[in-house]
Amino acid sequence: MRLTVDGQSFDIDADPEMPLLWALRDLVGKTGPKFGCGIAACGACTVHVDGQPVRSCSLPVGEVSGPITTIEGISAGGKLHPVQQAWLEEQVAQCGYCQAGQIMSAVALLEEVADPSDDDIDNAMGGNLCRCGTYPKIRAAIKKAAALKTAGL
Amino acid sequence: MRKLLIMLTPAAIILLAAPFATAQESQQPAPAAVDTAKGLPEWDKVYAVFSHPRCADCHVADDRPRWSGAHYGGTRVHGFNVQRGADGSGFGNPGLRCTTCHFSSNSKALHGPPGAENWHLAPAEMVWFGKSSAEICAQIKDPARNGGRSLQDVALHVRDDKLVAWGWAPGADREPAPGSAEETYTAIENWMAAGAPCPAAQ
Repeated sequence: MRLTVDGQSFDIDADPEMPLLWALRDLVGKTGPKFGCGIAACGACTVHVDGQPVRSCSLPVGEVSGPITTIEGISAGGKLHPVQQAWLEEQVAQCGYCQAGQIMSAVALLEEVADPSDDDIDNAMGGNLCRCGTYPKIRAAIKKAAALKTAGL
Repeated sequence: MRKLLIMLTPAAIILLAAPFATAQESQQPAPAAVDTAKGLPEWDKVYAVFSHPRCADCHVADDRPRWSGAHYGGTRVHGFNVQRGADGSGFGNPGLRCTTCHFSSNSKALHGPPGAENWHLAPAEMVWFGKSSAEICAQIKDPARNGGRSLQDVALHVRDDKLVAWGWAPGADREPAPGSAEETYTAIENWMAAGAPCPAAQ
């Protein structure tokens, strides 16, 4: 089975029913996506397939048919993605465990909604839980990221 | 001469069209005589399926799907702020689509996300969560509120649509809808043959 992850091809030997997260972490070596709940209920494992966010802990690897992007693949040329930059500037993370998933959902939101309202953010991020309660900082960082992205920074 | 043509034209159109109209009318199936004794028990089978949580939980008026099952203590609003979607499509919002969690197959994990192809909410005009048998019956017969379908189309939709089929194979420990797709199709056919009677409004 061949996966395209963060722009690279990987040949893996996996049961088609293996969750994509297992394949990414154990077979491809991408440990950025995290295991949280294992039932698509927390969002820590979020990656993109064909540009759309998916909970990789619950998606069978055999169902994947497009390129995969993980938190490790959103920056380019040593430059942080605007969402990552905003996350740093707003000092969002506390324990940080959920943040890879939070950032991947935020990236997906900004791909479709350039200047999201509070409602847009709540509607996009409701499936990403943070036990540290960083939600106000997440919202602020998404707005900052939108501004950075629009400005081309 | 031109005036005569103008005056003749409507009559000519009527004369020319008449044979076609007659032919079309002769092809229309005669409406089935309404037989409530035969039809209502068949409708009851259909209603039992349509009103079952595996079907009704995604035919909702407030744009928020429901969760139902023994583990939930009844029926409750789907978690995670999941909604129809700002574009009205039924596929969720940017950043959180239905297909972010619901894939082509059921998760085997307890409380994991169920899955089927094309997972989404029913269109806004096709809502019947919480409605009575009489209300749903009237709705199913109204193309403006059933997705523009004839009753035959409804029967085929129930028999052949893969997302509808999920209701009978919901995975994990979820209670399936009663009967089967084929049995529900047959019940709709039998109900139609009996004139598609609806129960009296309560």
